[in-house]
Amino acid sequence: MHDIRLVHDILDAQLCDRNNQNVGRVDALVLEIDDGRAPRVATILVGGSIRARRIGRWVTTLLDLMRQVRHTSDDKVSRIPFSLVRRIDDAIHVDVDEKDLPSEHRERWLKQHVVCRIPGAEGERK
Amino acid sequence: MKKWSEVALGIVTGIGGFLEAGSIATSAQGGAEFGFQLAWVLLLGALSLGFLMEMSGRLAAVSKRTYVDQLRERFGFRFFVVPLLAVLVVSFMVLASEIGGAALALEMATGISHGWFAVPLALLGWLLLWRGTFSAVEQGTAVLGLVSLAFAVAAWKLHPQWSTVAHSLLPSRPTRNGARYWYLAVSILGASISPYLYMFYSAGAIEDGWTTEYLAVNRVTSMLGNLFGGGLAIAALVAAAMVFAPHHVKIDQFEQLAQLLASPLGRAGFWLFVATLCITCFGATVEITLSIGYLLAQGFGWQWSENLKPARDARFSVSYSVAILAASIPIAIGADPLQLTNISMVATAASLPVTVIPLAVLMNDRDAMTKYVNGWGTNLALIAIAIVSIVLFFAAVPLQIMAGG
Repeated sequence: MHDIRLVHDILDAQLCDRNNQNVGRVDALVLEIDDGRAPRVATILVGGSIRARRIGRWVTTLLDLMRQVRHTSDDKVSRIPFSLVRRIDDAIHVDVDEKDLPSEHRERWLKQHVVCRIPGAEGERK
Repeated sequence: MKKWSEVALGIVTGIGGFLEAGSIATSAQGGAEFGFQLAWVLLLGALSLGFLMEMSGRLAAVSKRTYVDQLRERFGFRFFVVPLLAVLVVSFMVLASEIGGAALALEMATGISHGWFAVPLALLGWLLLWRGTFSAVEQGTAVLGLVSLAFAVAAWKLHPQWSTVAHSLLPSRPTRNGARYWYLAVSILGASISPYLYMFYSAGAIEDGWTTEYLAVNRVTSMLGNLFGGGLAIAALVAAAMVFAPHHVKIDQFEQLAQLLASPLGRAGFWLFVATLCITCFGATVEITLSIGYLLAQGFGWQWSENLKPARDARFSVSYSVAILAASIPIAIGADPLQLTNISMVATAASLPVTVIPLAVLMNDRDAMTKYVNGWGTNLALIAIAIVSIVLFFAAVPLQIMAGG
């Protein structure tokens, strides 16, 4: 591939895990700057609180308030090391498993507690 | 050979996609109050939708990503929130209207109040989505939607002066009651150009695995499908002009619309109208529901496909399930289907800039579109549609206040 532009090509791009499942989009990128070394892209962040921060401070404040009311503290953000990126084409393919990503907890919860309790949800093909 | 059957299917889908509660109601209101004069608005709506669908289909076939994917990727999450919320709200309103239209058709058939049918219809639509595949949904609604050809038969049997009809295909200004005329024009455009239609179409291109080989099929089906669909809506307007306008009847209930077909075709016409309203509204219900699932799944990067078992794309399946059941509530608790339809069409019209203008950027992006970027002709059309959408954005709410209802 030709030169890759972080914001144009990586930020907001589709993420796929090692089984080619869609596992969210690149919600933020973390750059690491160590003394005496060139800056490098260290981590891909995926998660609702990361997205909220991109809209504006008022959304973050609102979410913090909601979190306090519901007494939950962890924000289920996935931190994927950029070194796990294997391929970049229509999507960004990372060498992780969906099961290890905190940001996919809702998919797993809905599958287990809602979808699979309704007849006709499981099987190989429709 | 396979390609041609796809062309035929695509055209039929276009016809079915165009006619639904919104376009039947607004075309008939236009015909009843202003004769043939508003026919040009339907032509404008059909052409605009044809162009938008062609572009969103081409975008998906070339870039292998849907229009919603591109909206998020190219413009970033902060911008994406705006079309996301606008289309969600508008789609939900239109979805509730379509359920209302189908429920009203069942009331006309059985005499049981439409409120009772809303939840069962939603459940039936949900079952189809839960168990069916993309092509089952698409082809089922398309083929059954052909019943709406009854409008063409009706218009032909009413013997309108075709030269006057043809003359009305060119824009003209009203001689009286300008606010109401432009209000109906806005409603008709909102009913014709719905964001869910081109979002559904571009997701469909991915579901069906389109490549650049499909670009010719895409061009023919999107344009011809919508022109035929628009033609049938014009037929409904013509029938309304012949049946209602001479008696100065104003449409304020869906039930009155049965006269469109019953007047020229008798008892059979009544039943054809009931079938047309029920089938086209139910088809639209299923497609809008799926579009809401697509919009959320693609925007947030979830696993999605109507061809996968629900357990493989849980968030996608749950979001369309919640959408269709929630949208049945307004009708179930007594909202008036026609009023809801009219307000939804005006809201749709007002929402268009946020989905039309970004397309102008995407269709000229050589990184994504390579040599298949827009030419000057399609760009000119897109700019014209964008200008219309901005006018609609500013005009919709004032006109709703001045002349709605």
